[in-house]
Amino acid sequence: MRTRADVQSLLQSVLAHVQGGEAEARYAYEKLTATRFGENAITQNTAAASESVSIDVLYGRRRGSASTNKLDADALADLVHRADAIAREAPEDPEAVPLPGPQAYRDGAPSFFASTDALPPGRIAADIGLVVARAKAERLTASGLFQATTGIDGIANSNGLFGFDRKSYVDYSTTVHGANGSGKAVQNRNDYAAIDVGGLARTAVECAMLGQNPVALAPGDYTVIMEPLAVAEILAFLFFTMSAREAEEGTTPFAGTVGTRLLAEAVTLHLPVDDPDIPVAPHGEAGLAVRPTTWIEHGVVRRLFHSRYWAAQKGVEPDPTFFPLAMDGGDRSVADLVAQCRRGLLVKNLWYIRFVDRRTLMLTGMTRDGLFLVEDGRIVGPVKNMRWNESPITFLQNVTALSRPERIGGWGVFKVPAVMSNGFTFTSATDSV
Amino acid sequence: MQEFITIALDAVRAAGASYADIRVIDERTSEVYVQRRSLKRLADNTSFGYSVRALVGGAWGFASDTRLTRDAVASAAARAIAAARASASVPKDTPAQMAPEPAHTDTRTGPCAEDPFAVPLAEQAEVLLTACDTMLGVPHVASAMGWLQFIRSRRVIANTDGSFLDLTNTYAHPFLSCTAVIGGESQSRQYQGGARQAGFEFVRAIDLPGQARRWAEEAVMKCQADDGPIGVMDLVLDPDHLSLTMHESVGHPTESDRILGWEANFAGRSFVQPADVGHLRYGSPLVDFTVDNTLEGSVGNWFYDDDGVPMQRFPIVAGGILAGLSATRETAPILGLDRSNGCCRAQSFDRFPINRIPNVYLEPGPDDGVTPEHLIAGVDRGIYIQGQGSFSIDQMRRNFQFGGDVFWMIEGGKLTRPLKKVTYHAMTTQFWGSCDGIAGRPHWKAHGVMNCGKGEPAQSMRMTHGAAHARFRDIQIGDASK
Repeated sequence: MRTRADVQSLLQSVLAHVQGGEAEARYAYEKLTATRFGENAITQNTAAASESVSIDVLYGRRRGSASTNKLDADALADLVHRADAIAREAPEDPEAVPLPGPQAYRDGAPSFFASTDALPPGRIAADIGLVVARAKAERLTASGLFQATTGIDGIANSNGLFGFDRKSYVDYSTTVHGANGSGKAVQNRNDYAAIDVGGLARTAVECAMLGQNPVALAPGDYTVIMEPLAVAEILAFLFFTMSAREAEEGTTPFAGTVGTRLLAEAVTLHLPVDDPDIPVAPHGEAGLAVRPTTWIEHGVVRRLFHSRYWAAQKGVEPDPTFFPLAMDGGDRSVADLVAQCRRGLLVKNLWYIRFVDRRTLMLTGMTRDGLFLVEDGRIVGPVKNMRWNESPITFLQNVTALSRPERIGGWGVFKVPAVMSNGFTFTSATDSV
Repeated sequence: MQEFITIALDAVRAAGASYADIRVIDERTSEVYVQRRSLKRLADNTSFGYSVRALVGGAWGFASDTRLTRDAVASAAARAIAAARASASVPKDTPAQMAPEPAHTDTRTGPCAEDPFAVPLAEQAEVLLTACDTMLGVPHVASAMGWLQFIRSRRVIANTDGSFLDLTNTYAHPFLSCTAVIGGESQSRQYQGGARQAGFEFVRAIDLPGQARRWAEEAVMKCQADDGPIGVMDLVLDPDHLSLTMHESVGHPTESDRILGWEANFAGRSFVQPADVGHLRYGSPLVDFTVDNTLEGSVGNWFYDDDGVPMQRFPIVAGGILAGLSATRETAPILGLDRSNGCCRAQSFDRFPINRIPNVYLEPGPDDGVTPEHLIAGVDRGIYIQGQGSFSIDQMRRNFQFGGDVFWMIEGGKLTRPLKKVTYHAMTTQFWGSCDGIAGRPHWKAHGVMNCGKGEPAQSMRMTHGAAHARFRDIQIGDASK
């Protein structure tokens, strides 16, 4: 694995091939150890490692790009030659933005752990064995993916910018099925030592046992208690539409909302840079230094995402990245939220979420891996999975309670609470588990 | 190359592998990406790598690398063996085995009339810049975007059966979309033709700049249209739309790995069981679905799958009855098949090959004289849907909800007015069981899909679907409305 100095030297050697013009070179490394299981047995076991270099060459407003995963001297010279040839012939881009200069990067929380980087397939298989044994003991079947990743991102440009980030993370997820019900558990941590395999197995198995033989419930509007995994999935779609430019063009629900209260006062969404639970990369797009950002504060839209071009048009700082995304919560547990609920549905997980109408952010999707009826502060029993059609805007306007935030991996890293919200619309049921 | 193949296969044989293969993939990808009038990306990307897959003691191991040297290949083989031995610690009830397959030696190249890598990227960019500029010139159109992607993939596969395959395919993947805004309403319209195994001639043939104005005007039309109705009524669906419906509700439920529970943690399982083959009524007697991985120009015709099995053609639903499942060499024996039907693929050199949806299409109706207009004429009150939009289906592939790109109200057997925000909801076998009309072969059209997501770690895959227009009775419309 290359060191910071190695990566800097490599990228400088790439930039040295550029004959005039500006350039931005990037290095990426990924080592992935991933073991997959289904029906209580390992079905795949993969060990992959790759590194690649990519470059943008710019002549004024003309830009050409190329990438390769061959890193010998000839291949890197050819890489620059290909990007250069494209740039020289490219049409001008009216939205081209000059490359940034050197940045001052923060020293964030540790994100690389040798315990994760060195995790052998045998250790992962042993962890899977624990989950499978727990499932078998209850006559259930376990499936899942246990994987460890090490990644390096390096970036350098002809203005003297250089950024380097090295991280490791473990993603363990399991779904446990009985004859007529399932449960899921996930853990995403940078440090393997922080993974609790026993807790993971217990959560999934207990949910699967509790979820057997669900009953049909009439579709309609219900109070929901969405657990953090479900909240992260639905929030991702909210963030897909938080572009400042698209809002100004009128194609998203954020049109004209900056400075106004859009969501419930309890809702604060932000990008923290100092939370050790969710270490942040030092740099984002084009190597820009990541900074703390508040998107929604007590329900008021404070900021939408500005690309470098749109930020220059508006005279504001660009936003290097969305993630990690944190949603503030409280001190209560999910059980506390259940105890507070007079009648509603506890939603463990969501599935196949898609836009129905981007302007209103109307989404559709299914519940999955645990849907439970709550009455008078306690779980009454499992309910058949249901299709829902709802906007996260409405969901976050109707918030009545939040739990302690938890880290969730996925399309980005989240730290979000369980959310209790009124009037969530379910439209049909399914026998699928 | 042969030297490296020998190093890898000798190493895994020595470790007792009952089967092993090495896949070497050399890929070149060009990308043009335009947003509004801005050329966001013009790129030429290359990727090279290989993997060693080994079945040792009935358990799988897999390792990949990008350096093709003696030491690196030997290391990859050793890592694959170590992974297989780790896998054996949580074993399957029945050790994995591969269905027998003859050794194949073949060199094949897919269709590509005009080499896309010889067409300057600047010229390719002008196609999209012109199309987007045309769209943005239509009043009320607020944004436009598009891409052209070409992939040339050379796969060399050698396995312990003695197969040696050298296979090259070229894929053309265009896209164009625009969004109009009128007041508080915003609607999009997009290119719906899908991808094809072809060169730049495919982009010339679909003429994106020539169609851009019409699509932009239709986005504006959608903004001004009435919202879709709510109720139970009939649907007539066009081939591009049906390609997505069948992908989700026929292609995925008939994947054998999903049926066997191997996808349970992510993509899900299936309502279909192996014993359903030959018995389950999947659709009306009109409904025939064919798997055809030999279809010329289809993005799923790889000549051989990643198990080294030749592409095949077979029925999967015949006369409305489930007739088959897609299989791999590992799932075939479990399903009671003597041989795999060639549906095992990997996204890239560093991904494990898994069971993927093959090319699956709905056969045209028996009467070539039946037109879409005939189908519409048979609807008193319903909706005609063109193209793909919103889509969602449950994890066992029963409960689904689809939107579309363009919607027309059908009243008294005629298209009367455009609509917007239409969704329909059905259960898979109920939906296909309600099909009472399919247009003839002249109206059949293929649609290539380039981004089917499945597997863990996630993999993207290509396959082509196809259909002629079809009619469905008594479908629930509009329950996405609030």
